[in-house]
Amino acid sequence: MIEYLLLAPLLTSILCAFTKNRKQVETVSIAGSITTLGLGLVLVYKVFRYGPIVSWENSLFADAFSAYIVLIVSLVGFVASMYSIGYMGHEFNHGTMDIKKLRLYYILYHLFMFTMLLVGVTNNLGLWIAIEMTTLVSALLMILYSKKSSIEAAWKYMVICTVGITFALFGTILTYYAAVKILGETGDALNWTSLIAVADQFDPTIMKLAFIFILIGYGTKAGLAPMHTWLPDAHSEAPTPVSALLSGVLLNCAMYGIIRFYTIATASTGTAFTSNLLIIFGLLSLGIAVPFIILQEDYKRLLAYSSVEHMGIIAIGIGFGGTFGILGAILHMFNHAMTKSLMFFAVGNVLLKHETKKISKVSGIVKSMPVTGTMLILGGLAITGSPPFSIFISEFTILASGFSQGHIVSSVLLLLFIIIIFAGFFNHISNMAFGIPKPGIISGEMSRWTLGAMGILIVFVLILGIYIPTFFYDMLMQVVEIVR
Amino acid sequence: MPELILGSEMMQLIIALILVTTFMILGSKRLYSCVRAFSIQSLLLACVAGIVAYSTGKIDIYIVAFLTLIIKAAIIPYIFLYIIREIKVKKEVELYVNISPSLIIGGVLFVISYYLIKSIHILSELSSLSLSASMSLVSIGLFIMISRKKALMQMLGILIMENGLFLGAISLTYGMPLLVELGIFFDVLIGVLIMGILIFRINRTFESIDTDMLKTLVG
Repeated sequence: MIEYLLLAPLLTSILCAFTKNRKQVETVSIAGSITTLGLGLVLVYKVFRYGPIVSWENSLFADAFSAYIVLIVSLVGFVASMYSIGYMGHEFNHGTMDIKKLRLYYILYHLFMFTMLLVGVTNNLGLWIAIEMTTLVSALLMILYSKKSSIEAAWKYMVICTVGITFALFGTILTYYAAVKILGETGDALNWTSLIAVADQFDPTIMKLAFIFILIGYGTKAGLAPMHTWLPDAHSEAPTPVSALLSGVLLNCAMYGIIRFYTIATASTGTAFTSNLLIIFGLLSLGIAVPFIILQEDYKRLLAYSSVEHMGIIAIGIGFGGTFGILGAILHMFNHAMTKSLMFFAVGNVLLKHETKKISKVSGIVKSMPVTGTMLILGGLAITGSPPFSIFISEFTILASGFSQGHIVSSVLLLLFIIIIFAGFFNHISNMAFGIPKPGIISGEMSRWTLGAMGILIVFVLILGIYIPTFFYDMLMQVVEIVR
Repeated sequence: MPELILGSEMMQLIIALILVTTFMILGSKRLYSCVRAFSIQSLLLACVAGIVAYSTGKIDIYIVAFLTLIIKAAIIPYIFLYIIREIKVKKEVELYVNISPSLIIGGVLFVISYYLIKSIHILSELSSLSLSASMSLVSIGLFIMISRKKALMQMLGILIMENGLFLGAISLTYGMPLLVELGIFFDVLIGVLIMGILIFRINRTFESIDTDMLKTLVG
């Protein structure tokens, strides 16, 4: 089952290489991502219904948490591939891209999907390998536009994330060292399943050291401050559908790595050490995002800094711990993925129309592009945590858990940061959305594909804000059980 | 038994030589000699892996030693030389921090790593030697990345860090399971290729590979 899921994007990627024109490559791509989504949903169903799946001699493995990541990856991946047709098609029509580049884009796109799915289903600390692969592929996606700024962003991204991931490798080695002492030198000594069973016997000193390295390493990739410096560059310079994947999904994949290690490390070191580290890094991320969001001039960078903020919130949620802290954090991963992708899609349309990323040069979106404008406002309200949207629920859960468990100072700080960011962020959004359209802007929406993609996402943002279906809640609780 | 292998004088000598190659890179002004020193360093690492493989008799580690030899001591240096030749880059390293302060900082980093690792009491005397060498490789690699102007040297810095981790892994645990090791080799190789592509792009777009040029995206 798992191998089919991995094979789907890989095959799609190969098939894309043999296409002749735009029509063909788009058909292959959309068919591929539908297949991936379908297989992903089947996997999710099987895991939640019948328990974990293992295959390929234990090297692939899917429990509830993996399945949850697979759900996020395949869902956003599908929607972003819809959006790609509209967005990249527009670039193609305007001559920014030729067929060679378009084909390369889709090849890399599905390869990127493959690596992200691999992160979710690796039964192994070899997760590291998959995360490094995501960096490699996405750096190539960034340099599709041969602009100076995208090359600079790609180089920074590549260098900083590779260094970060090197630290994570050191943490992984230390964990393996701790495990070998207990389990002996078997190939299994890196597998989640065998690790978690004996994690409480690991040497706490080594595990503390290991967790610090893992947190810094994967934290770099997850965009936690102060290792986030590559993130705004990379997320703003990538093609917009890729920005959505980077912000919505890839950050979650890195977070997934941290949370897996958190579970193992906590069993050995006790909660206080790991939780405090997560809360500190989380608060730092929010704190650093505040001034950059308030003073931001570039709307794609604005969204990127908002991702730093939300990764911080997830880290804090895990740090608060307890059923509700973790539940909130896990739910936040999903909500952030949906909402942030929606926002990127909306500003992507704005970018296509205005051909500038400056906030000050854009206004009156609601008038010139009514649907995109509405999405921009709804998404902007949602991403800043206002009710009745989905992110409000998860942020509220995290805050409630923080206050009820006596993390008063950090909860107050969290609340304060969220409120300031709300004001700063929404100020920018309303400047863009309202007012009179800039002269020379012709009214009218972008392609229907982009509207369809946003339509799917807004459903999740709205529904999960009002009510969480029972099956989804059960899923979340299964994930919480694993993380705890 | 494990301690015996790592403690053997042969091993100590090789680890010392690995440190020497690192300082050769720090103290060199010419790109070619940096690449050569890196190649020697990887060769020595392959020797470490070879000795461990010989004394444990595990085929896995033989494979790892062989791959280190092929990929890190031969293919990656070759890619470096190819890039240097193709983009006709000036053959000098160009530094933010001069050679002699660089060497002093390198020395300080080594001493810090040594005492840091020593302070972890759980490690035996002997594996702490190789682990402190590993730590110094990681920190000196990082220092090379931030103190050299050329994008090529940043790439080299990352590879030195990676070598340091390899040394750490092999001295702590005799390497990771084979599947994971293979994956890491794969990633390193692909990573070097992609960075190579990026360097070509940087050179074509900015007509230089000084990272000074890459400072426009801020805020």
